[in-house]
Amino acid sequence: MLTIEKLHAGVDNKTILKGVDLRINAGEVHAIMGPNGSGKSTLAHILAGRNGYEVSEGSVEYLGENLLDLEVEERAHRGLFLAMQYPVELPGVNNMTFLRESMNAIRKARGEQEIDAVSFMKLVRAKAKQVKLDEKLLKRAVNTGFSGGEKKRNEILQMAMLEPRLAILDETDSGLDIDALRIVADGVNRLRSKQRALLVVTHYQRLLDYIRPDFVHVLAAGRIIRSGGKELALELEEKGYGWLLEEAVA
Amino acid sequence: MILESYRQAAQTTIESLPGDSGDWLIPQRQAAVKQMLDLGIPHARQETWRYTSVDGLLSKELRPNHRVSDRPVERLDIAPLEEPVAARLVFVDGSYSPELSTGGSQRGYRLGSLRSAMAAGDQSVLRSVASLSGTGDHLFAAMNLACLQDGAVIQLSPGVVIEQPVELLHITTNRKGRHGQQIRHLIELDTDASVKLIERYLSVDDDSDYFNNIVCEISLAEGAEFRHERVQQESDAAYHLCRIHIDLGRNASYRGVTAALGGAWSRTELYNRFSGEGAAFEVDGLYAAGEGQLCDFHLKVDHAVPNCRSREAFKGVLHGAGRAVFDGLIQVKADSQKSEAHLHNANLMLSSRAEVDTKPQLVILADDVQCSHGTSVGQLDEQALFYLRSRGIDGHQARRILCLGFAGEILDRFATVSLREQIENDLLQRMRF
Ligand SMILES: Nc1ncnc2c1ncn2[C@@H]1O[C@H](COP(=O)(O)OP(=O)(O)OP(=O)(O)O)[C@@H](O)[C@H]1O
Ligand SMILES: [Mg+2]
Repeated sequence: MLTIEKLHAGVDNKTILKGVDLRINAGEVHAIMGPNGSGKSTLAHILAGRNGYEVSEGSVEYLGENLLDLEVEERAHRGLFLAMQYPVELPGVNNMTFLRESMNAIRKARGEQEIDAVSFMKLVRAKAKQVKLDEKLLKRAVNTGFSGGEKKRNEILQMAMLEPRLAILDETDSGLDIDALRIVADGVNRLRSKQRALLVVTHYQRLLDYIRPDFVHVLAAGRIIRSGGKELALELEEKGYGWLLEEAVA
Repeated sequence: MILESYRQAAQTTIESLPGDSGDWLIPQRQAAVKQMLDLGIPHARQETWRYTSVDGLLSKELRPNHRVSDRPVERLDIAPLEEPVAARLVFVDGSYSPELSTGGSQRGYRLGSLRSAMAAGDQSVLRSVASLSGTGDHLFAAMNLACLQDGAVIQLSPGVVIEQPVELLHITTNRKGRHGQQIRHLIELDTDASVKLIERYLSVDDDSDYFNNIVCEISLAEGAEFRHERVQQESDAAYHLCRIHIDLGRNASYRGVTAALGGAWSRTELYNRFSGEGAAFEVDGLYAAGEGQLCDFHLKVDHAVPNCRSREAFKGVLHGAGRAVFDGLIQVKADSQKSEAHLHNANLMLSSRAEVDTKPQLVILADDVQCSHGTSVGQLDEQALFYLRSRGIDGHQARRILCLGFAGEILDRFATVSLREQIENDLLQRMRF
């Protein structure tokens, strides 16, 4: 589904990613861990198409297309979704309207019919309940004045509504209480299927207890320096990143 | 030269008034003609005209006497509001149209036209003309008094509450030739009276270049409550100047929301004076200007007595080579303690060619007050655009959503839902969204 090869990228002449290789097949759940500033969000942003990053080398193929050639919205139309580390506040833009515009834009791009108001309301109510997002937040402006946890839940709600093919979650578990962590994990697990894949960026092995990824990768100094199974996360929890970095240098 | 032609036109207007009956305010008009000559043409060295040139207004011959077009009025295609109104006073080319108007005076209140008050010599109306405005603080304000033809009269007796809003609808059919329409509204609410006014200015043709010159005097007695929804949606070629004087008595309140979308040149001057303690003045405003448009707001709020509250929040959307001017001044006099005043102006610049000159000012001479002011000029947030696009919404639609989000905070103040919708649609259309 997603093949990243030798990806080099940076901002303002500063190289952040220095040859990332990663292959994700449909049906798989991957976790990426790594020290602060190692380039995890940079990778996620480049996949979602945020501008400001310069790709100097390498390629990204997604569902048979060159992902880097696609506009941001085209990636979304093809089922790519990024739950952001810092969800953006949109003052004056109603959360429900935003969700509906988003769903319909994606449907339209796929040649599907727009969702009617009644079905939409039913769906959004059901999903909001699943992610335990207070219905009042649906009527407010997107993320505006939401608490940190509410913002993250709102991202999970969007993911649940849009049902992406490939969902990338950038530290959606950071700053969450234990109950909210469960909700994020449930959201991910509910989406799991043979057709979909998930890429979860996290600092905490605790989330992986609930999610049970198929693969765990360590991104450090701009590269994936180690890949393994779930047990790698446990090892990292115990020993930190130092030993891996030393091994990588050696 | 121009001044002389204005003087002549004003004299002609005055001489053509039916002098044999009624009271046509001749002495006041003559004083106003003199004032016009004394004040002369506004120029950029005057602070209040620094960023707003009147050259465009003066460049063609202006005929300050009104003339109603011969277009049959029943063909005017203006979508009415969906909400019920207590009355609808319709003005076509500056003149009251009894055929198009509905509702009128009832026990306890008077709704009518200034022209008929002049024709009848009705002193209960006429004594109030110019009581707040004076003879006129600039050429055009004086011209309004010298040449005024018509306008609305709204007077409420003590304790009278009109439940449904009153609508003032101005339609201009004039197309080419820079006709001036001198309109003057007189609004007086006696003690504890209350009403909501919806005031709309519309053009029939997109390229009409007439000049609407309006003065509006609003006096609110003790405890009176006035709500005001005002929309200027003139043609993109029109000129619109409106000077609103408000006087608030003890515990009176004024709550207004205004939107200015049209006009090649438009200027709204809002002057509020507190004359009794415990009064509140609140106004929210939205303006938009694109290619070839200038939109100007001048506010002055005078805390002349203690214990009053004022709040003004204005937002502007500038696109193309649109220009806006925002000049807000709040004065708190030395012994006006316990005053509360907040003034805010935010501008969204959608184009690098757009311009705004904004100057919110507080002049506070009292020490026990709560005051704030702020201003911002910014572009659409890149992160917000990315966020929307990452959810499948294309760039054009994303910009549209963010603009409406910005304007929405003001639009939501329009309690008249069908009006709010209509303004939103007009805004989107004018911005080519
Ligand atoms: N726009 C930018 N301008 C300059 N430096 C940037 C920019 N974006 C990212 N960086 C730098 O690139 C490096 C990688 O940042 P990134 O946000 O990808 O790290 P991360 O792995 O997600 O870290 P964290 O775990 O703290 O979220 C950091 O050193 C960061 O300061
Ligand atoms: Mg990060």
